[in-house]
Amino acid sequence: MNDMAEKPQLLKVVDLTKDYSTRSGVHVTALPGVSMTLEDGEFVSVVGPSGCGKTTLLKILAGIIQPTSGQVLYRGRHITGAQRGMGVVFQSPVLMPWLKIIDNVLLPAKVIGLDRTAARATAMELLELVGLGGFENKYPFELSGGMQQRASIVRSLVHDPAILLMDEPFGALDALTREHMNVELQRIWLSRRKTVFFITHSISEAVYLSDRVLVMSARPGRFIRDLRISFPRPRDYDCTATAEFGDYVKQIRQLLVRHEDHNS
Amino acid sequence: MITQSAPTPARRPKTRFDDGPYLPLVLGTISVVLCLLVWQLAVSWIGVPHYVLPEPLGVFHALVDGLSGSVSDRGSFWYHLLDTFKTTAFGFLIGSAIGIALAALMSQSVYFHGIVFPYVVVLQSLPKIAIAPLFIIWFGYQIESKIAMAATLTVFPVLLNSLQGLTTTDSDRLEVMMALKATRWQTFWHVKLPSALPLIFAGLNLGIVYAQLGAIVAEFVGAQKGMGVMMLQLQSVSDTAGVFAVLVVLATTGYLLITLMRTIHRHVIFWENTASKSKTQSG
Ligand SMILES: Nc1ncnc2c1ncn2[C@@H]1O[C@H](COP(=O)(O)OP(=O)(O)OP(=O)(O)O)[C@@H](O)[C@H]1O
Ligand SMILES: [Mg+2]
Repeated sequence: MNDMAEKPQLLKVVDLTKDYSTRSGVHVTALPGVSMTLEDGEFVSVVGPSGCGKTTLLKILAGIIQPTSGQVLYRGRHITGAQRGMGVVFQSPVLMPWLKIIDNVLLPAKVIGLDRTAARATAMELLELVGLGGFENKYPFELSGGMQQRASIVRSLVHDPAILLMDEPFGALDALTREHMNVELQRIWLSRRKTVFFITHSISEAVYLSDRVLVMSARPGRFIRDLRISFPRPRDYDCTATAEFGDYVKQIRQLLVRHEDHNS
Repeated sequence: MITQSAPTPARRPKTRFDDGPYLPLVLGTISVVLCLLVWQLAVSWIGVPHYVLPEPLGVFHALVDGLSGSVSDRGSFWYHLLDTFKTTAFGFLIGSAIGIALAALMSQSVYFHGIVFPYVVVLQSLPKIAIAPLFIIWFGYQIESKIAMAATLTVFPVLLNSLQGLTTTDSDRLEVMMALKATRWQTFWHVKLPSALPLIFAGLNLGIVYAQLGAIVAEFVGAQKGMGVMMLQLQSVSDTAGVFAVLVVLATTGYLLITLMRTIHRHVIFWENTASKSKTQSG
């Protein structure tokens, strides 16, 4: 759908700050004023130490929480709440245990009021794409953690959002499953051409998947580097073993180490 | 005293003995048989008068007697049991409908919550059984006043548990709906209500017990039919064995109602014992 020649700024964040006030009255600055842009069709990852404000930023983009100050511009328009042009994948799958997989992934279609048969067809196609074909009538508890997370990715895609916001979607998976999911995610992204905002603790995951990697400092989190990854697509997972890949990883690692002692 | 009948425990631990070893079952049976034996022997040896404590065999005979009559026979248990059952069923249905509806509205609107809450607090602290005479004034000695009593007792456990369930929805689930820009009522139907079902059912399990309690109490206070009425009649002629027999019947119907609720519960909330797996698995 987003096959325009030039790359317009799809999402832009200007000077975003977020203070949390805890119950004891202490203010925690989670975001001190960050700015960034997502161009149409880009895959952008954010890496940063734990607690630096990544989830906070994602939830503001998703319209789940409100920033203390600053602006979010979507297609050039100032937005304050959730947008139906976005899909969100949370750190845990958060599927509704009383719904079959098909009904779980159709939840957005139901809420938004999309045509049922068309949405169903899209859902079945997407389930097939992530390797869940034949599981549509199972309940979430009948699926493994990795399968649940794939179902939640389908749920985030079923209403064909322009932007996909993903918060450490593979954080709970074992290394092999995670690798597999990375390859699949790239495949989905290549076939659907979404703009993806992807949070991760894994530097190599970020480098493998992204067009750009944004490196964040410890809380209060600022972007300290915007690194363009220039591997051609589609990327074979073997490219993670190349020296060039290793250089990217090392560069990001050093940035994180320099700013904070603990990192992944 | 009538009003002292102990409420059943609010929540049962999740593990059940159903499919466990038979030992508890065997022990339970032995214990009951022993108890009945000791009771029988105690009454016949010590010579406790029958109007104070009847023999188990006497209770058994009264039970058989009461159960052998037909539904249309005023002296049979069935005649009265049917009325008590109707009262319990209607009272339960009306009471839980009101309880769930109020909880839904209170959880959805802070204004509604604010308006209704004082009455809930006041009525809740009132010993609700004391309203029974008022119901007789309003609804007469027919089944209506009994249903009103049963419904009144049902409302509160259902309301309070449902409210608790509807206001403690997992924030992750709510965020899924927020990200979709769902309306308040979409979030209610798709997420809050199903999430609250385990607690709503905890309330309903209590509610069914309270509905029966309400029916019996109303029958004590003033009615023309029902197990409570039957009990008063038996008491007035010092037929203590008969009173015991009524108690046995009530315990049995109570047990059947609770079992029915639990069965429905398990079928409706089929995901309950497995939900933890699909919820969080953070790294
Ligand atoms: N609801 C809240 N109330 C108070 N403080 C909060 C709240 N949510 C987050 N914070 C604080 O804001 C900071 C940023 O939190 P956030 O969840 O955005 O971090 P993160 O980068 O996603 O961390 P992680 O990588 O561990 O998920 C943290 O220091 C956290 O303690
Ligand atoms: Mg986070």
